[in-house]
Amino acid sequence: MIKLKEHLRKYWLKVVFFLGVVGPGIISANADNDAGGITTYSIVGAHFGTKMLWVLLIITFSLAVTQEMGVRLGLVTRQGLGGIIREHFGIRWTAFAMLLMLIANMGTITAEFAGVSASLSMVDVSKYWSVPLAALAVWLILYKGSFKTTQKIFLMFSAFYIVYIINGFIIGPDFGQAVKDMVTPTIEWTTPFLLTMIALIGTTITPWGQFFIQSYVVDKGLDVKHYRAEKGEVFLGAFITNIVSFFIIICTAATLYKHGIQITDAKDAAMALEPLAGRFAQFLFAFGLFSASMLGAFILPVATSYALCEAFGWDSGFDTNWERGKVFYAIILASIIIPAAIVLLPGISLIKIMILSQDVNGILLPFILIFVILLLNNKKLMGKHTNTVLGNILSWGTVLFIIAATVALVVTSILGINA
Amino acid sequence: MPYLSDLLNNKVWDSADDKVGYLEDVIVEPKPGEYVPLKYLAIRKHRKGHLIFVPYKYVENFTKEEVSLKTRLAKIPYLTSVDHNCIFLRQNVLDQQIVDISGARVVRVNDLRIGEFEGEMSVLGIDVSFKGILRRLGIEWLDFFGLAHVHFIDWRQAQPIHGTLKLDTVSKNLNRLHPADLANIIETLNVRHGSKLVTSMDSESAASVLQEVNPHLRKSLVKYLGPEEASQIVAKMSVEEIVDLAKSMHREDADLLLSSLKQRKLKDVERLIHYPNNTAGGLMMVNFMMLRPEWTVLHAVSEVKKKSSEFDSLVYAYVTDENGIFMGVVSMRNLLISSKDKTIKGIMKPVAKKTIIRVNEPIEEIVKTMTKYNLYMGAVLDEDNKMVGVISIDDIMRHLVPNA
Repeated sequence: MIKLKEHLRKYWLKVVFFLGVVGPGIISANADNDAGGITTYSIVGAHFGTKMLWVLLIITFSLAVTQEMGVRLGLVTRQGLGGIIREHFGIRWTAFAMLLMLIANMGTITAEFAGVSASLSMVDVSKYWSVPLAALAVWLILYKGSFKTTQKIFLMFSAFYIVYIINGFIIGPDFGQAVKDMVTPTIEWTTPFLLTMIALIGTTITPWGQFFIQSYVVDKGLDVKHYRAEKGEVFLGAFITNIVSFFIIICTAATLYKHGIQITDAKDAAMALEPLAGRFAQFLFAFGLFSASMLGAFILPVATSYALCEAFGWDSGFDTNWERGKVFYAIILASIIIPAAIVLLPGISLIKIMILSQDVNGILLPFILIFVILLLNNKKLMGKHTNTVLGNILSWGTVLFIIAATVALVVTSILGINA
Repeated sequence: MPYLSDLLNNKVWDSADDKVGYLEDVIVEPKPGEYVPLKYLAIRKHRKGHLIFVPYKYVENFTKEEVSLKTRLAKIPYLTSVDHNCIFLRQNVLDQQIVDISGARVVRVNDLRIGEFEGEMSVLGIDVSFKGILRRLGIEWLDFFGLAHVHFIDWRQAQPIHGTLKLDTVSKNLNRLHPADLANIIETLNVRHGSKLVTSMDSESAASVLQEVNPHLRKSLVKYLGPEEASQIVAKMSVEEIVDLAKSMHREDADLLLSSLKQRKLKDVERLIHYPNNTAGGLMMVNFMMLRPEWTVLHAVSEVKKKSSEFDSLVYAYVTDENGIFMGVVSMRNLLISSKDKTIKGIMKPVAKKTIIRVNEPIEEIVKTMTKYNLYMGAVLDEDNKMVGVISIDDIMRHLVPNA
């Protein structure tokens, strides 16, 4: 008995220790697999099989590189991205960058609430109940509760993604084909393909992720000495999250795509888990989608508000009182209420919200990345920590690739090429 | 009265209505607590050319509508560089963070108000309002209900953080703030700017500010300052704070930092450093007012007067024998009202055993004891009843609410 207790204690210590060292890289990467993420990856697999895996492979590197750039910028300047943009590009560019971030983040938060709604509707809870309650819960916990603890709890829930990996092995998909698709770029010049591809990029590398990782580094008071460790952690995070994405895609490809099922709501996406969970697949998926959505719904309003307040010089932080911090609180409230209200519009397609918001993220991402890249090549600011040639090639490559894809998307939709 | 943002990038004309260039920046030489007159205009002659600096006395008009010079440019002895006391309003102040001394907080500069003060064009106010943002973006009309109000900080109440100000300028201004407020300001800044503020103060004020900063940031600040700068400041800190700091650092870093301490202080630090943080030993102050039982009240009072400056506050004196064994306490009130020829032994109060704090007692116990018996100071004894320190309710609060 005593031995068991001791054992448990040791085990818990390990869990606590693990959570203690989980850094920005892993949190940020993990939060990428949010409502928009799960949906997008499911659709990528269900509608296009393993054809887009090559994109996933490339953006794993892009994600690692851009997140590492965020960490480095944070370590060297000790300032959030909003603040540096303001100080280096002046107020007009700041307003521009902040507007883009705001639009992208609002879209993503809407996707999170759509995720909450979609997951709970699988257990027959109407969205008119689930969404207002979730919004209220988010606000109350942010305002009264502990942000850090909550974040850790939902982060633990995101271990749910392991089921996709196990599921993947149970299905026993064609790994040979998957690897082949990973290294042979195929592209279809149609609107649905391009739209899904941009969403795939936009859900993996996000504007908010760029802001988040940098302010995380700054808040933790890390310094350049920690650079190597942080770099490793960021690379690890990018790798882990995209392993999960990889398995979501091959699971949906081997189940839904094979039978020609298009995803129109969350129930369809859940079917991919049936080989593992049988009739519990719906529950399991609902649980995973719910916790992923809530994690995002917690982090994003706060991240948005911090970034805006830093750029425009408003008092921020939960330790400020209402009078001083009214803008800070107002932004948080607005970025909870407006997205929740959008989801409550009758007859709106939750799946469309979840994927289109990722497109918005993807389309706006290059502009935020350009700011980041320019800052990282500023010798006066970065000293000996400016970007390497390889970093520049990869990050500019990402920017150009997305812009090209967006242009192609516009062209195909004007020409009406849908299949 | 114009705003800086109205003037920047305006064309600059000379007396013959020839275009000289574009207004790139405005330069002042700041003095603490004063409005400063404009000193030079920085003018860019061509899009990519070098800056020239025209002394302000050659300026004829300086308004939103027109920026012009009194004579031809050729007749003006303009400069091509300025000395390092000067700050550039656009480059060093606009869009940067400043410390608002009257509000004790950090704000971002949205615009600068320029106007005449005692016959000279000077920077008068710093616009930190939302209205200022709208104006800079050229979308002031958005506020058609007039909801946004301009809010200025008096230039004399502001302190740039980046600027290349001389050090004494900075500290003179900031010294008007309470160390705890300054600490809060430093906490809102990033470490680079925060440490710049710390170094700009004399080491005594820096030490008292550093004591108020939260422990985590303090560690980073000290690291950032480097051993040389840091050890000067640390030397002025109290033994307890040094111990806390040393405990939070790596062994070698701590040793390096402590190596420059005076022998006596170092001994105290080394003695304390072995007590865990959440016990009486880790929380207590080692410096307390000590009296001998055989002293007269008169002698005791003169001792208190002599030593008084060593303590932040002085409520009780503690009576110990020649071996340092604890005997009792004397309150300052008691000392004040007792007749001068009585002995300390005669007026001291013995202390109930229950209200004594043991050096290895955990904080939860101390809190209970101090709350139950309404203590705001407690004597800390070791196993042999030797008095080793005192704990105030303040030390406990600090431990329980570290981020205030």
